[in-house]
Amino acid sequence: MNLNNLICKGSLIIAVALFVVVTSAYASETEGLTAATIVNKSNLASYYAGTDGRSDARMKIVDSQDRVQYRQFVMLRKNQQENMKQHFLVVFSRPTDVRDTVFLVDKKPQSDDDRWLYLPGLDLVKRISSGDKRTSFVGSNFYYEDVSGRSPLLDNHELINQDEENYYLKHTPKSPETVEFAYYSSTINKQTFLPMHVIYYDSNDKPLRTMEVNQVKIIESFPTVTEATLTDHRLNGHTLIQFRFMDYNLGIPEQVFSERSLRNPPDKWLQRTQ
Amino acid sequence: MKAWVINFSLNHAKRVYLLMAIVSLGLAAFIPTIQIDTDPENMLPDDQPDRVFHNQVKQEFALHDAIVVGMVNDESIYNTDSLSAIHQLSNKILTIDGVVNPDVMSLSVVDNIEQTGEGSIRFEYMMKNPPSSESEAAEIQQNVADLPLLLDTLVSGDGKAASIYVPIKDKNESYRISQAIQQHIDALNTDDQFHITGLPVAEDTFGYEMFVQMGISAPLAAAVIFLLLLFFFRNLTIVIAPMIIAMATVLSTMGLLIACGFKVHIMSSMIAIFLMPIAVVDSVHVMSEFADRFKPGADVKQVVKDVISHLFRPMLFTSITSTAGFASLALTPIPPVQIFGVFVGFGILLAFIWTILFMPAYISRMSEKQLKALQAKLHGDQQSLIARFIPKLGLFSTSWSKAIVIAFMTVLAFSIVGIEKIQINDNPVRWFKQDHRIRIADRVLNDHFAGTYDAFLVLSHTKGTAYATELLQRLTDVTEQLEDSSLKSKLTTLLNNTSEQTFNASEFIAVIDDAFFAEEPVAAEAVDAGLLEQAMSLLEQYQSETQYFTQPETLQYMASLQQALNKSGVVGKSNSVVDLVKTVNRELFSGEQKDFVLPDSQAGVAQTLLQYQSSHRPQDLWHMVNPSYSRAVVWLQLTSGDNQDMLTVMDTVDAFTKQNPLPEGMSLKWAGKTYINVVWQDAMVSGMLDSLISAFIVVFIMMVILFRSIIFGLMAMLPLSLTITFIYGLIGWVGKDYDMPIAVLSALTLGLSVDFAIHFIDRTRSIYAKTGDFYKTIQLMFEEPGRAITRNAIVIAIGFTPLLFAPLVPYITVGIFLATIMTVSALVTLLMLPAIFNLGKSKFFPKQQDNQNNEFK
Repeated sequence: MNLNNLICKGSLIIAVALFVVVTSAYASETEGLTAATIVNKSNLASYYAGTDGRSDARMKIVDSQDRVQYRQFVMLRKNQQENMKQHFLVVFSRPTDVRDTVFLVDKKPQSDDDRWLYLPGLDLVKRISSGDKRTSFVGSNFYYEDVSGRSPLLDNHELINQDEENYYLKHTPKSPETVEFAYYSSTINKQTFLPMHVIYYDSNDKPLRTMEVNQVKIIESFPTVTEATLTDHRLNGHTLIQFRFMDYNLGIPEQVFSERSLRNPPDKWLQRTQ
Repeated sequence: MKAWVINFSLNHAKRVYLLMAIVSLGLAAFIPTIQIDTDPENMLPDDQPDRVFHNQVKQEFALHDAIVVGMVNDESIYNTDSLSAIHQLSNKILTIDGVVNPDVMSLSVVDNIEQTGEGSIRFEYMMKNPPSSESEAAEIQQNVADLPLLLDTLVSGDGKAASIYVPIKDKNESYRISQAIQQHIDALNTDDQFHITGLPVAEDTFGYEMFVQMGISAPLAAAVIFLLLLFFFRNLTIVIAPMIIAMATVLSTMGLLIACGFKVHIMSSMIAIFLMPIAVVDSVHVMSEFADRFKPGADVKQVVKDVISHLFRPMLFTSITSTAGFASLALTPIPPVQIFGVFVGFGILLAFIWTILFMPAYISRMSEKQLKALQAKLHGDQQSLIARFIPKLGLFSTSWSKAIVIAFMTVLAFSIVGIEKIQINDNPVRWFKQDHRIRIADRVLNDHFAGTYDAFLVLSHTKGTAYATELLQRLTDVTEQLEDSSLKSKLTTLLNNTSEQTFNASEFIAVIDDAFFAEEPVAAEAVDAGLLEQAMSLLEQYQSETQYFTQPETLQYMASLQQALNKSGVVGKSNSVVDLVKTVNRELFSGEQKDFVLPDSQAGVAQTLLQYQSSHRPQDLWHMVNPSYSRAVVWLQLTSGDNQDMLTVMDTVDAFTKQNPLPEGMSLKWAGKTYINVVWQDAMVSGMLDSLISAFIVVFIMMVILFRSIIFGLMAMLPLSLTITFIYGLIGWVGKDYDMPIAVLSALTLGLSVDFAIHFIDRTRSIYAKTGDFYKTIQLMFEEPGRAITRNAIVIAIGFTPLLFAPLVPYITVGIFLATIMTVSALVTLLMLPAIFNLGKSKFFPKQQDNQNNEFK
């Protein structure tokens, strides 16, 4: 009787498992998207909209004691033809004492980025060695890599689940010793392919940081994040980032992203276009 | 009243026993809810300004209490094995619950900032992964040497020791966490030695040792007293009586203390051992007197009645004076000392009450046979060592009166010189014995590093309110012209809720900024936009002018202050935002020493700091300066936690600010445990003087009332005054630091040694009243009364000796000095008083006309 029972239950379990495998295989086939594809599309939607773009950005950094700091800057971006390369130019306007501090980045997903820095207070142009990208972006809870985009090539991606609205993915770093997290999960919107919710975990499955998109707007046909929050659970602080005055496909010339712009910010492109 | 009490005791023995049992057990029932308090900070009241400020600074700058793990390698820690051990251990520590992970400091989690080949700078982890070769280890050595904030803090200057700072969320967890760390250390495959120290660990260990003390020393004291009494009275049945009183007193007092919600601090943990010998003293008097008076066949109850009525007054007075001595500690501004004083005082009175109630009941219920045995044995005592020695003392005191007085005067003079030499000094780490692992860790780590003791020099800046007033007026003007009504009302509300004192520019900037960043932002060409921009630039100007600790002149001042401190040699090292700015500035430029300077503009400083904030640990900046840059902290590392050394540091700073006055608007205050220790030490010294003086006056008045004579009142104060002077003189000469337990001794001496004088004077006068002959009186005095005083001195002195076996130094100190105090004050009483009486006998004991009419009662 026991044996019977076992066989009976066993076969039932196998049947259910088979059903799940078959239907999910069918489902992913009809959706036609693998994890890698979703991630690539998401990467494009998040960081590559249009051929170029500008945006005003404001960060409100709130620490565990509710003390607030602000950072305000304009970000110019231009995509390059090959290898997902991009130019970034970030010019600070606030706080006043860091006004006209400039970052220039040549993002190269296949190799190390080139980064330059101009500090007007020291009248100094300096190259920043790429090294670790998981350092704070100017004291906020965002990391440099959160702002410039983490290359999809660095992680193994897994589609865990999906529903009407979202894909649910798990990403595991290929070289875990280079990052502070063990893995991260993301919730990617099926319509916009923007990651709406990303949680970084440590090896004990405790969340380290959470990125949450609070608001998305369609700007010149591009779904664009206009507000997001990054919470650092270890530090018990968060940073709210807001984007305004976005504009795409402006035709920003290549030379705007040259070392010359460090000392002479390209006012024409930094000004609000609306 | 007195008679009623005695009758009640004699006739309702069982009720007395029941009452005693109910009270003692009822109060003792609270003992299991005991809470230990080992935080030296609690030496100051919660609301003491320095303590409040200290905690405010700790909170504002997120300065957590930290466990310090030290690793020592006699060659150098810069080898692959040692560095791997640090790496491995640090990773393990980060997994322990209760550790403030982001603030852990270790080579493997801090950042290195350096120049790389092509003239670029780089922030990277100092030791993301353990080095795989000796050359990589050497590179780490090179990097650490370049970073002044790490050198001598995370790795010692000689390269032989490394440390891990483990900040913890709750210091009550430090035992569990340090155990967990120890387990990880044990699992390491390394020959390096490890030490765990830091204040939280010391405090926790201290609490544990306190329990040991209470669990071992107090019962040991009970055992010693029991044996001693057995030796004196040689009768088990009667000796049990004082032991019951002592137990009942100790249990009730500790129970009441805990029931009242007080935590048991180092001082109150000594209550049991203090009360034990004091509680039996009254019963010793009763027993001696009873044994003296009782003759076989006499009515036991009547004899007991006589004994108690005879002893009631001196016992009441000695109890009250001892209580006054201890209770005077309530005048010190140190809560644990106050609690100790008040509860020991309570215990003494309780012991008196139990003696009066319990002893008659108990003795009257002893069998005839036992009473006889007691009587017989005690009379054998006549030939004991004490019995033979004491009369000689009496003879000596009267025949060598002048010499004795001169000798005591000489001792007094020497003592006063000794008191001048007293060094006020304390250091909670020194409460552990020399060979305790915490002392060893303390020694080793402070030998290698710039110091594990912290003091924080807090510099604050307040901008004059005039500037804020002017700005607020201009903002009001701008607000009134605004067209957008919702924005206008928002700003108006904010303006109405802001005064010159509470003005915070960021609040206004945020509101205006919101307007530009709203869903429908203010159009660039609108009138409002211009107005808001104008307001914004005013606010920003104000903000940068008030971001005081980004101004080069301010930082320059801090730098020279630090330089003066470092040069003076009194601090191991000082760390501040200045070092940080200089280091980043150096790396931004050439990476060479010539660029280890401050930028010359505020923007330069701010941008340097922005670079620092682009590291892995931007939050580290807020340990040195607050986000509004109105307050900065200079972290001083000291190799010693002694008050004396901290005072030298404070003097050095004072001397500096005298020569280089603080810039206008800047104020300087101290925080940190080492400083807090100085504050309560200071409070203790002045507080003790107050308490001593007031207790002295109270006791003196009581003596005058008791003896109805000012001159005898003065005589009663003589032995204790001499004893106190002598004890403190001795402390000065021996070079023992005046610390907390020593400070408390004065009150104890006063309360205890006056007892001898009371008994001596009382008995002398009453005997003289009977005999009318001075020499006869003295001779009689050195029979039974002299023996009783000596016996009591021995009981108390030896009763405290179990403290010598205590694991913690303060207990040992108290044990040694109390034994000395008892011996000295008994000796002074027995030598000095008869000698002075002898010299001034015409004054003290005028020839009586008629003995019968003048009998002293």
